[in-house]
Amino acid sequence: MRFADDNPNGPPARPTDSPGGPLLRLEGVSKTFGGVQALKDISFEVPSGTVMGLIGPNGAGKTTLFNLISGIFAPDGGRILYGGTDIGGRPTHRLVADGIARTFQNVELFESLTAAENVMVGQYVRTRCGFWGAWLRGPGARREERDSQAAAAEWLRFVGLAGEARTPSGELPFGWQRLLEIARALASRPRLLLLDEPAAGLNAVETEQLGRLILEIRGRGITILLVEHDMSLTMEVCDRIVVLDRGEKLAEGTPREIQTNVDVLSAYLGPDVGAPSRQQAR
Amino acid sequence: MVRPSLHNLVPYAFFVVLVGSAGLWVDNPYYFQILSMIGIHALLALALNLLMGYAGQISLGHAAFYGIGAYASALLSARYGLSPWLALPCAMLAAGLVALVVGYPTLKLSGYYLGMGTLGIGMIVFIVFREWSSVTGGASGFVGIPPLGLGGRALLDVRSYYFLVWAVVLLALCGSQRLIRSRVGRALRSIHDSEAAARAVGIPTSRLKLQVFVLSAVMSAVAGFLYAHMVGFISPDTFSFIVSVKLVTMVVIGGMASIWGALLGAALLTLLPEVLHAFAEFEMVVYGLILMTVMIFLPQGLTRGILDIYALRRRQSERAARPAD
Repeated sequence: MRFADDNPNGPPARPTDSPGGPLLRLEGVSKTFGGVQALKDISFEVPSGTVMGLIGPNGAGKTTLFNLISGIFAPDGGRILYGGTDIGGRPTHRLVADGIARTFQNVELFESLTAAENVMVGQYVRTRCGFWGAWLRGPGARREERDSQAAAAEWLRFVGLAGEARTPSGELPFGWQRLLEIARALASRPRLLLLDEPAAGLNAVETEQLGRLILEIRGRGITILLVEHDMSLTMEVCDRIVVLDRGEKLAEGTPREIQTNVDVLSAYLGPDVGAPSRQQAR
Repeated sequence: MVRPSLHNLVPYAFFVVLVGSAGLWVDNPYYFQILSMIGIHALLALALNLLMGYAGQISLGHAAFYGIGAYASALLSARYGLSPWLALPCAMLAAGLVALVVGYPTLKLSGYYLGMGTLGIGMIVFIVFREWSSVTGGASGFVGIPPLGLGGRALLDVRSYYFLVWAVVLLALCGSQRLIRSRVGRALRSIHDSEAAARAVGIPTSRLKLQVFVLSAVMSAVAGFLYAHMVGFISPDTFSFIVSVKLVTMVVIGGMASIWGALLGAALLTLLPEVLHAFAEFEMVVYGLILMTVMIFLPQGLTRGILDIYALRRRQSERAARPAD
């Protein structure tokens, strides 16, 4: 899984495996925290080049699942297959190098760094200049630094923050911080991008822009796993959706199937509401 | 960051002119000793600033590495007759190895706990210096450290020594600045802001923290080497807990995450006691008051406080100018 032959300023590497095949595959994944079963026997596949939605009420285990896939925790049971290999328990920094990037529910930027520097930190796994390289500053190190700056500028333009390169990221408005975090994640040139509630705290216009951005990212061949509470956004951008409830997989299907699924409705709105809508759906 | 342009060179030019002219004009050996001492402290503050100001890892025991550098070089050159120039790499290696061994478990800690951990290291090393009399000379100190020579003759005069110290400081300044403005430097600063996020974007944080800790220790050992061969006598008190705290103060007063701040802090805290002799028994009171005043009005330290105001002004005027073009 090397990207060395790619142009560092170009779009990220397209998945090399067959289009439509699963990039990520969960097989019976479970996780317990001190006796609480956070996730129980979760299985699903994320086909390459698609946007997969992950929804469910609060406490359903969505963020836990993200933390397992991005290597923050190791699963207690089951397997997480990425491009065919089990990545369960692999450290985060290696997973990023392997092509899994993520954003956080509560934006986690490097606030004292400028927007451009944040994106450049995002390229860490795709660059190699170390201590000696920094001191000697040979032609290779200089070229890498220049490429890195150019790529950062391009990613900022891609998310619509071209004018903010030199602004300390902590001073950006919240909505732009979200976009910057996405740019930082993209800068690691992932094949799989995990977005944890990217629309939280955004207004309607910003959410719409975010929806377009997500589809553009997919257009670059990046597979996306999206946790989101904003239903209209989720239904609009997702190719498929998995519903979690209390640590278990409740349903899976296209947005249309999910919208009319009885179990999903009762999980979200309570069983009493679920029952009449069953008749409606029929 | 965009290009290593003229305005990056201005502070260096200023630095070289200042150090050069001071070196040529000053004629009093006592002043030279103080000026060299500022350089040694600047080197230490720079080393600690890489760790503390940039990577955000506090060390309350940095005098230990300063001491290891001094004692290792003193021992090898005075007792085993090794040339001090050969003793220097050995001293650096010794400090680096100790940092590697103690840093590995210690850097798993953070915040107050890391402070306590490094404090412990400083104390242990201090006690070793004081109690292992057969090797270190114990509390009464280690005497007879040979002066440095160049090409067979001793660097007799204090003036050359002063230039030597400041040449090392200049080298350390350039090296630190290059490091900070590189991929590694950005990664270190990102660890300072949020270690969790740094890990999530793919930075091997534990490894990087350990590397910068070792680097910082090695730089401190160089300062210890310069000190030992300048003074010719070392005792444990020079490397005590109080000195570690002073180093932290230099970094904080000068300005965290600012290489010129380290220089300023070192100069200020080395000169203050000299100037404050006039206050006799109130010396420490005035000293404390000055430190408090700086922290209250410029909590980011001297350089950062001033630079931040400047940067803010500049951005504001840039913003104001933008609609025009």
